[in-house]
Amino acid sequence: MDTNVHFRSATENPCKMCMPMGAILPFKGLENSMVLIHGSQGCSTYMRRHMAEHFNEPIDVASSSLNENGTIYGGEKNLKQGLDNLMQVYAPEVIGVLTTCLAETIGEDIDRITSQYLQERGLLKSLIVPVSTPGYGGSHAEGYWQAVKTIVSHLATATPKHSKLNVIIPDISPADIREIKRILAMMQLDYTLLPDYSTTLDRPLVKPYRKVPDGGTKIEDIMAMPGARATVQFGLTLEQNLSPGHYLAKEFGVPLYNLPIPIGVQNTDLFLQALQEISGVAVPAALQDERGRLLDAMVDSHKYNFQGRSVIFGEAELVYAVCQLCLENGVYPVTVATGSKNSPLAQLLQPKLTDVDHPVEFIHNADFVAILAHSMDANIAIGPSDGRYLTEKQGIPLVRLGFPIHDRVGGQRILSVGYAGSMMLLDQITNTLLAEKQRGYRQTMYDTFYRGADRLPDATLPNSGLRGERHEL
Amino acid sequence: MALDEKDLDAMLNAYPAKVKKNRKKHILVHDSSQARQEIEANTRTIPGIITNRGCAYAGCKGVVLGPLKDMVHIVHGPIGCAYYAWGTRRNKAKAEDSKQNYLNYCFSTDMQESDIVFGGEKKLAKMIDDVVATFHPNAITISATCPVGLIGDDIGAVAKAAEQRHGIQVLGFNCEGYKGVSQSAGHHIANNGLMDKVIGSGELTEAPEKFAINLLGEYNIGGDGWEIERILQEIGYHVIAVMTGDGSYAALKNAHVAELNLVQCHRSINYIAEMLETKYGTPWLKVNFIGIQGTIDSLRNMAIYFDDPALTQKTEAVIAREVARIEPIMEQYKRLCEGKTAFCFVGGSRGHHYQGLFAELGVKTVLAGYEFAHRDDYEGRDVIPEIKPDADSKNIPNLTVTPDEKLFKLKISPERAAKLKQTIPLSNYQGLMAEMTDGSIVVDDLNHFETEALIKALKPDIFASGIKDKYVVQKMGIPAKQLHSYDYSGPYAGFNGAVNFAADVSMAFTTPTWNYTTPPWKNQPLLAGTIESN
Ligand code: SF4
Ligand code: SF4
Repeated sequence: MDTNVHFRSATENPCKMCMPMGAILPFKGLENSMVLIHGSQGCSTYMRRHMAEHFNEPIDVASSSLNENGTIYGGEKNLKQGLDNLMQVYAPEVIGVLTTCLAETIGEDIDRITSQYLQERGLLKSLIVPVSTPGYGGSHAEGYWQAVKTIVSHLATATPKHSKLNVIIPDISPADIREIKRILAMMQLDYTLLPDYSTTLDRPLVKPYRKVPDGGTKIEDIMAMPGARATVQFGLTLEQNLSPGHYLAKEFGVPLYNLPIPIGVQNTDLFLQALQEISGVAVPAALQDERGRLLDAMVDSHKYNFQGRSVIFGEAELVYAVCQLCLENGVYPVTVATGSKNSPLAQLLQPKLTDVDHPVEFIHNADFVAILAHSMDANIAIGPSDGRYLTEKQGIPLVRLGFPIHDRVGGQRILSVGYAGSMMLLDQITNTLLAEKQRGYRQTMYDTFYRGADRLPDATLPNSGLRGERHEL
Repeated sequence: MALDEKDLDAMLNAYPAKVKKNRKKHILVHDSSQARQEIEANTRTIPGIITNRGCAYAGCKGVVLGPLKDMVHIVHGPIGCAYYAWGTRRNKAKAEDSKQNYLNYCFSTDMQESDIVFGGEKKLAKMIDDVVATFHPNAITISATCPVGLIGDDIGAVAKAAEQRHGIQVLGFNCEGYKGVSQSAGHHIANNGLMDKVIGSGELTEAPEKFAINLLGEYNIGGDGWEIERILQEIGYHVIAVMTGDGSYAALKNAHVAELNLVQCHRSINYIAEMLETKYGTPWLKVNFIGIQGTIDSLRNMAIYFDDPALTQKTEAVIAREVARIEPIMEQYKRLCEGKTAFCFVGGSRGHHYQGLFAELGVKTVLAGYEFAHRDDYEGRDVIPEIKPDADSKNIPNLTVTPDEKLFKLKISPERAAKLKQTIPLSNYQGLMAEMTDGSIVVDDLNHFETEALIKALKPDIFASGIKDKYVVQKMGIPAKQLHSYDYSGPYAGFNGAVNFAADVSMAFTTPTWNYTTPPWKNQPLLAGTIESN
């Protein structure tokens, strides 16, 4: 079987999911909210299943359960009925209504249907946020941003200036969100973080159980985002039309700091520098210590890390930040891949690759067959669970990061942001390289030095000896 | 604790009146003193109610076709559906020829907006060409997802043209997610396709060995099928084809030569079972290999059917040996489980099958039900003539088969069949309710709200279900056991499976974590007495 062929006509072992999947997540980070997916129930059931597996949390998403009838006569009745039932049983403060391939293909106008529904029932506009997310319109990453952008544009209202800071985040883990909040608190900032699923999707086990979890960004806070002193958004790879930060800047003049996810020294520095600038509060000693510890760790591990040749894949925003961390530590990327069709990853990263002594392949709209085809010389992969294909086929060990992690527990508590988080991620990368090295280095030593020079593996060939052994002295 | 109709009624008051009226017909308190209890099933899901049901595509590609290992299963549609059905059921497989196993792959035409507008047939045809060139699979299936039917892509025509180009079978399945009301529609569509195009196309005209059987509706989750096959083979059965866990296209083609079809999951495969009987004269036997007694009964019924002294003797010998081996282990687990209660809400057959195994551990099932079953799975096949087809079921084409001119062969005489039906479930299924105790709750298409309300009311000690409700239940402080994927455990079928299950369930009951939920400072001070200041 020749696995090096990439089906240009289609996708084999995809590195992406569909738009509505990504759009569920931001709504899970709103206080007292529910989501209804307009389409046949299969989509929502599948998505719930996958999210539950990653977060190990209940993921309650309703569906308008369209059937053949609905495809002929339209799904308006089902959608309205679904909203009625959802309201009665859950009494949410906000409902995200997302579309699917089915709803979009039959041309459902959910803006019209939902606003008509609100009118008929005499309800507030803020109750329903309709988001158009055709499954074929982009990957789950675009779905995520489409939802955040629509939440902001739908709810934000001109507000007098206030002292809060807007913090808009991409798909990072609940543990990451908590770390960002800790840093914001240390910088003495009052903020609105959107979307905040740090508790809703990582709930403590306490009694009694509540159907709709506590936590999440408050609706009134989102409404007031236009009055904020600034917006910090981790959305460097975002197209402007999907960027809530750009929207707030353009419509309401909120100054925008569009930054990378604070993973790695430089990215975290950028974040703290922005916070210092905004708050006028100097970076406290405790955080400076954390920075120092990260540097100390980097020095300790650089000789191992320098042997790393990485494949970094997943959602573009996270891929960018992880690439930065890897570049800072010599774990130079061989392949950089994302399931998104268009992303500025290549333009953004290319200038930073001057020290890399091998070509770096950028793949968009990637699937794992394509990724593997370009990763023969890699010895570490970093990204979501599906990268295990690289391990199975080529023995490349995988550091699991991002979404989804469905073959291990704890996807929701992987911490990788801030100096402390970066250090944890880096240690994991280093230790994975070390484990790989220790797995077989005696054999390599034996083969290389004992059995004589005529048996020496050709150091100029990729894949000679074990992974991770190549430039070893 | 028990619930009566009045309590149920009160619980359903949380719904709007119309929803309440609907849901009431799907829930009942089992009462065997009534001549018959009717439950509504296989009807439309109520919008906005958080159901566990999936779609026709999930039933077709995900359940029935997916496990066939030597076929490449192409999903024609946008990426999501294909991704979500990729490796999500734990149907295991080994392939004799390691190249003819594509279970770890996900093939999608990844339709984009332009394909939706201009049609995706060309892309699909090109993908088939690529797949054939790269993998050389024995055959290919194409499963359609929602948009495909709407934009009018003719996957049947694409499949046919591809068959001519490549000389292998390419089967199209129009299992768009909006068809029917749940996965169930997809099972039916897959059954029709396999029956119509694959089964019977092999070259065998009679069974190559004695006691040849097919095992239907067994998906080898966590290796269940392997444990069942271990037992069957030792007794002397020759398994021709398994549908479809660790199954293959190659074996399926010759399924028509078996002497008996065993049906494990009635819901997903009864169409094929029935058609095999009509077309090839092979009756089917309802079996249940979950639970020790279930396994024993199934084996004995098979022996009765074949009526061969040596086979019967071997059956009893194997049963005796296995029981003697595992009984002492089960006894130990039973001590941990005795007296507990369970909810058992799964799919279309496990909600029934696991009750016996729970009972063997001393665990009483106080609530059971199915996600996507039909009335016959609850009430028994006798009700089938009464079930009126509605608009949704009429949308699923019915395949009518007639006795095959060459291959039809009555495996047993009608007289003997009639006689056997008195003692064994030959071509019959009694349904879940027949085995439930009075006062227990039967519920169809249980949803998120009801799950919670019923847990609060009945306080079960364990909840057997799937991953979507698992975390709701655990957050409520009750152990959950996933019976779709077995929480990465298994097998649970047969004799060894019973032991695994007993161990896993006992573990759920005995994990110390639940003891720590109330922190000590809520109860007593660390130091006895009061500390006086100064
Ligand atoms: S309902 Fe349709 S779109 Fe959704 S998963 Fe099923 S086939 Fe795919
Ligand atoms: S790709 Fe479309 S049809 Fe499939 S799951 Fe996503 S939204 Fe549903």
